[in-house]
Amino acid sequence: MTGVAGAVPFRSAASALRLGMRNLFQDRLRFALSVAGVGLSLMLVLFMLGIRAGALRSAVVYLDNAPGTVEVLPPGGRSTAAGSAQFLGPETVAAVAGTPGVEAVTPVLLTMGFSDLHGTKAVIKLVGYDAALGGGPWKLASGRVPAADGEVVLDRVLANRHGLGMGDAFEIGGIQLTIVGLSNETSSWTGSYAFVRKGMVEALLLAPGAASFVLVTPEPGTSRDELMARLRAIDGTNVLLKSDVMANDQEVVAGIFDQVILLMVGAAFVVGALVVGMVIYTATNERRAEYGILKAIGARNAVLYRVVACQALVAAGVGSVVGVGFSYAMGWVVMNARPQFLVVIEPPAIGATLAAGVVMALAGGLFPARAAARLEPAEVFRR
Amino acid sequence: MTEAGLRVDHVTKRFGSADTEVVAVRDVSLQVKPGEVVLIMGPSGSGKTTLLLMLGALLKPTEGTIALGDLELSAMSEGKLPDIRLRHFGFIFQDFNLLSALSVQDNVAFAAELTGVSRGVARSKAAALLTELGLDHRLRFPPEKLSGGEKQRVAIARALVNDPALILADEPTANLDSSHGRETMRLLREIAQKRGRSVVIVSHDTRIKEIADRVLWLEDGEFTNAVEMATDPVCGMAVERDVAIAGDRDGQTYYFCARGCRDEFLAGVAGPP
Ligand SMILES: Nc1ncnc2c1ncn2[C@@H]1O[C@H](COP(=O)(O)OP(=O)(O)OP(=O)(O)O)[C@@H](O)[C@H]1O
Ligand SMILES: [Mg+2]
Repeated sequence: MTGVAGAVPFRSAASALRLGMRNLFQDRLRFALSVAGVGLSLMLVLFMLGIRAGALRSAVVYLDNAPGTVEVLPPGGRSTAAGSAQFLGPETVAAVAGTPGVEAVTPVLLTMGFSDLHGTKAVIKLVGYDAALGGGPWKLASGRVPAADGEVVLDRVLANRHGLGMGDAFEIGGIQLTIVGLSNETSSWTGSYAFVRKGMVEALLLAPGAASFVLVTPEPGTSRDELMARLRAIDGTNVLLKSDVMANDQEVVAGIFDQVILLMVGAAFVVGALVVGMVIYTATNERRAEYGILKAIGARNAVLYRVVACQALVAAGVGSVVGVGFSYAMGWVVMNARPQFLVVIEPPAIGATLAAGVVMALAGGLFPARAAARLEPAEVFRR
Repeated sequence: MTEAGLRVDHVTKRFGSADTEVVAVRDVSLQVKPGEVVLIMGPSGSGKTTLLLMLGALLKPTEGTIALGDLELSAMSEGKLPDIRLRHFGFIFQDFNLLSALSVQDNVAFAAELTGVSRGVARSKAAALLTELGLDHRLRFPPEKLSGGEKQRVAIARALVNDPALILADEPTANLDSSHGRETMRLLREIAQKRGRSVVIVSHDTRIKEIADRVLWLEDGEFTNAVEMATDPVCGMAVERDVAIAGDRDGQTYYFCARGCRDEFLAGVAGPP
């Protein structure tokens, strides 16, 4: 009589996986439903993350394209996202420009305004800039930059939405402007950018020579830290790296988005795990007799675990890939239908989503797998 | 495999406790020799399935011991039993219970693969067995496309694929028409005779008596003498008194499996037991 073998041999593990796959694919409709369920829930996850990433990107799109590496803000200013009521005065701007080690300055006067377009109020981020110093639109779709007061470059998406084109009138804050150019990459979920000469915004805000912030380009060879120290010495300034301000801007957006997004992502994840769990559980339940037989003829619990768990993994794995595809499709549809929404699906988010799919499978598959492993083999002899 | 076969000593199985206690099997003793076909009959609820489950290491007796050769099943830890079942027992069920997602050949091969043999070996073993059982033209079929009798033959092949010492069958003919039932019985008989396996069958089906070396009656968890049994003093086979060939020697009646044994015994070639 032969001895008692120890652990499950590798080969029987392979055959368990094969049986799991056969069981999974035997009912095609159920497989398709589970893939669709997982796919849709992960699509929701990825799409929400894509909206968040898009919002984060559009929150810093202006600073990212503006010149300079150091940003001088009014005292207490940390971010450009919240339209500040505080400005840097003309003397401060001049003092910044005159600081040793400064190669170039870009003073920008930014205000939020509303424009009444076809009865709906559009939020406009009105950028006043000096064409000679930079800070204007970085990608013109058509036309030219404003050469005189009363001229405006408007975000192309907003203009298209409201049927505005070159030469059309555009009113903001009671000021009449003429559209001379349309810009790309300047629409965001918080509002669309419009660019005018700085003097126009100064007049609007009754703040001659003022700036919301000054972007500074250091001279080559200058120590950035020393330059920043010198700038801080100027009265009434707060000096930060532009990249830090961008990070702060994104933090503000994330603060608004993250709780909601996390909730939605969490809910979508749970729904996906439940779909996997339900599908695999019912599939396992239907095969109670078969799995009981396996135990009766001598399959160990580990074999049963594998047979069931691999079904959950494959269903969720295929569902995840389908979900990634769905989310690209959804992003494309949304951005075509509503160009003001930027949906950015980033590789790390895809990686995280695929990993979430695996966790989903394990979470959803664990219970059915345990149920199968716990089957009483003697049960198959009784009905 | 030692010659001793399966030995059951004073086995009792109780379910529940105190006032809800059910004694499903009561102090049962039994031996099954290699090559022997034992049929256990009895009314519904008499404990047949319970006894079979204990014989097959699927259920632990409350009292008593069960040993297969020198392996004492009743003393083994739970973790060792699956492997014992896999290598030493073959199970045949009333409902056939094939894996619906696998082909006929893979159903049989799967049981072999559980022991760790390669898929190739398992599949060729399965094919050989199925061919012997007349199913060579059904290897790739899904079980659902088979007749009841064919399904039961696949189940028999699955039970045999790991060369078990003992085949245990619970109502193997209950879901078969009479000709398929007869064919299944013939196969079980053949398994015992040609392959030297012990076969224990639990059934209501009186036709199975025809192929059994021994018929035991279980009633209320106990073997009764509804069928009076005797042992052939020549070959040692258990025989039913009603149907056996009787012969007197020295004022005592003996029972024989066949005329040959009786003639031998009465001629004094073989001694008394
Ligand atoms: N798990 C259990 N818990 C409690 N009682 C049980 C259990 N299993 C069996 N019994 C009881 O033990 C007795 C014997 O049952 P068993 O299934 O062995 O009978 P059987 O002879 O196989 O009957 P049948 O011919 O109807 O299949 C019955 O009274 C049954 O109710
Ligand atoms: Mg029964």
